[in-house]
Amino acid sequence: MSSMSGPAWEDWIQQADDPHGAFAKPEALDDLLVLDMSQESVAGMVCTSFLAELGAEVLKVEPPGGDPARAWGPPDCSHGGEGLAYLAEGRNKYYITLNLEATVGREIFLRLARRADVVIEAYAPGQMDAWGIGYRQLSLENPRLIYVAISANGHYGPRASAPMREHDLSSQAASGLTFITGEPDSDDPDRAGVPTKAGPWLAGYAGGAWAAFALLGALHHRQETGRGQMIDVTPAEGLMRYLEYTLLWHHIDGKVRERIGHYDLAVFPYTFIRVKDGWAFIAGYTDPNFHALCRIMERPDLPQDPRFSTVSTRVQPENERMLREQIESWSIQRTSDEILEEVMADPGPGVVVFGRVESPAEVLSRENWWERGCFHKFSDPVYGDLTLQMPVWRMTETPPRIRWVCRPTGYHTGYIYQKYLGLGPRRLAELREQGVI
Amino acid sequence: MSESYFDWTARLFDRARIFEKPEALRGIRVLDMSLIIFGPATADYLGELGAEVIRVEMPRTGDVMRIVAPQGIYWKNVSPAFFAQNHSKYHVAIDVHRPEGQALIKQLAAKSDVLIENFRAGTLERKWGIGYRQLREINPRLIYVANTGFGQWGPFVKRASYDALAQAVSGFTAVSGFPGRPPLKMGIYIGDYFGACLSALGVLAALHYRDRTGRGQFLEVAQCEALLRAMDWTWVYAGLTGKNRPRTGNRDPSACPSGIYACQDGFLALVAGSDKAFEGLCRAMGRGDLLTDPRFCTQADRAKEGHAEALDQCIGEWTQKMTRAEAVGLAQAHGFSASAVATARDHYEDPHLRARGSVWEMEDPVYGTMVEHGPAPKLSDTPARYKWAAKPVGFHNEYVLGRLLGLRPEQLKALEQQGVIGKWADRRGPKPPDGWDGEGIIG
Repeated sequence: MSSMSGPAWEDWIQQADDPHGAFAKPEALDDLLVLDMSQESVAGMVCTSFLAELGAEVLKVEPPGGDPARAWGPPDCSHGGEGLAYLAEGRNKYYITLNLEATVGREIFLRLARRADVVIEAYAPGQMDAWGIGYRQLSLENPRLIYVAISANGHYGPRASAPMREHDLSSQAASGLTFITGEPDSDDPDRAGVPTKAGPWLAGYAGGAWAAFALLGALHHRQETGRGQMIDVTPAEGLMRYLEYTLLWHHIDGKVRERIGHYDLAVFPYTFIRVKDGWAFIAGYTDPNFHALCRIMERPDLPQDPRFSTVSTRVQPENERMLREQIESWSIQRTSDEILEEVMADPGPGVVVFGRVESPAEVLSRENWWERGCFHKFSDPVYGDLTLQMPVWRMTETPPRIRWVCRPTGYHTGYIYQKYLGLGPRRLAELREQGVI
Repeated sequence: MSESYFDWTARLFDRARIFEKPEALRGIRVLDMSLIIFGPATADYLGELGAEVIRVEMPRTGDVMRIVAPQGIYWKNVSPAFFAQNHSKYHVAIDVHRPEGQALIKQLAAKSDVLIENFRAGTLERKWGIGYRQLREINPRLIYVANTGFGQWGPFVKRASYDALAQAVSGFTAVSGFPGRPPLKMGIYIGDYFGACLSALGVLAALHYRDRTGRGQFLEVAQCEALLRAMDWTWVYAGLTGKNRPRTGNRDPSACPSGIYACQDGFLALVAGSDKAFEGLCRAMGRGDLLTDPRFCTQADRAKEGHAEALDQCIGEWTQKMTRAEAVGLAQAHGFSASAVATARDHYEDPHLRARGSVWEMEDPVYGTMVEHGPAPKLSDTPARYKWAAKPVGFHNEYVLGRLLGLRPEQLKALEQQGVIGKWADRRGPKPPDGWDGEGIIG
């Protein structure tokens, strides 16, 4: 075995990929020009956030009145005239306006698209084509173009031509995730025994991630062949791809996966339990890990019990319930910090996974996430002090970064039209007069 | 353009022609050294775009997911949960605890473009001498991906993680589900699959940089951090107000009305947040009176306490009288959003998802006909695809080690006798289906 001299791995890699040093390094995608035409689309804005974090020059092209998504966010708080969701995903983009409903607007778009690497849109399927600026037309003008279309049901297939407004909740439901998430049917007074959505816009984030993934795959293909292509993404299918064995189960013997609350079909213990200071998650489902858990709980009897002695018997629904009660009778006597301390002190063999269910405010109070660079407090010249979640990748050569939080509608119109089309202030004033920008 | 748009897209994306078309990541080799879901899914996503994925497992037992069987039920001697993150891979079994095994990994890494692992931080370097710092000496073009719960460094680096733990500590759990109820566990391992998706995205960004410069790099994604990233306005809100985002059940707080309602044949998700969509909904319900009701004039009015609940009741009474399909038809006609809360059966029987390959049927030489959810993004010129299903432990040893590393049959035999490489143990999980006739082995 070869051994490393020099610093320990953790020290070396922190030095090499700490995002606090990102600005000193190059960017992975800084040769890309992206036109983001998407409106009212979480997947669209998330996709271009990812690209912009990784260095792409993203032109967010809004209608003169702005993307209606600028108003999105919690009902009890907006900031600087913007909804908070828009501020969260406005990062690094250049904001210009253009009216595609005007002929001159479409001509200007065409001029930009001729030199763009990527176009992203979220109009009703066929709308861009009807305007004469869909992929069919643009690919003749710019065969290298990668064109990403985001919609509720996609651009082909029996339901494609039926118009449907995409929204994250309906996409989560269509994905199949909602049906298998939540508490089973019950008579509880809260009426909580129904299919339940994820709180955040998960379908939009999945759709945005897949769109960015696919277009970067297409970019590699273009590098090899010089040819672009069209990519069709729906947020519902994006989330659907994460549904593990749900469909295979149905294929094998007609099973329809149902909701099981905080139990688990495949592994146990792997569940939420009450602790003295709230709720926590605990897991130890393989034999060595289950033995470790029983050791920590000082319950050597449990692994001997035939109901809990193997991976397969532990996942029988009745046994899951009984085992969960046993664990909870222990955990309810202790705080989450006490349990975590015991878990970390256990010498092994086996590993118990444990953590408290934390509120956003508690998450923000943990030093770990700040040290890792997961959050940053920006003092933005336009929007003032804002706390944002940061890019997810730590990369040694091309770390992602955030330059600015967001900008108002049309903020960069003058700069971008001058830079790419040579349109000066007088011409822009004319276009403004005509309602084009 | 005489051809209609949808005739043209039907041709452009024709499911029947997928295998006639090239693959975006042809020629990219991925060495998948990972376990369970987070790592294997990252490799799987690259594989569906055409990367050649070599999946390394321990001889005899293989990955633990082979025995993580939902309700303890196996299918053809393996857990049905093993397949979703292991398509079209070449399965080799190498014992990385042995120096000879480590030497084989180094040889494979020298010929690979991407390496994916999800062990605890530093394990490959400290225990086996095949970490990033060793492998980049052999192959400076290598893109080395390390997936973990909490990252390669930082105060939580020593903590172990699973998907639902990531949901808990990221705050994702606290902002999902109904107020006052126990924590809601997502029905799937979302931190794994979404984290893997971001990891694969990062690889392709690194690949683009390598295409331009020839330089590889190290890249890490942490499961907990992937979920933090996906929580939209939660953090901006907490930062500005000092308040926690509340749990709102099935209502999207930024769109009112929105929720999940019962129909005659199942559940329906419905959203009509904008004024225009709300107008459409009222028309569809035949309730023009609601439009002039001062409680419901604007989205802000509708979202007020009591108002939202009153609207929910109207909508629920209305949906009760119809099927999900009828409600979806009305949503299309009147410009609001609706979808059936789809079940596995709904997907299985949906001709739309079948035509799009989102419900993917294939015939595997070992496991026969399989139906799974297919690749998500649809690429016109380089469509994503599954070629075959996961295979028993060590299934492709001869193909990979012989073809790729040039080992002769007697060398393979010697390595197998020493226990450096191996095949499946004769037990459920690692082994092939009963009565398997040798079909699918690559000579």
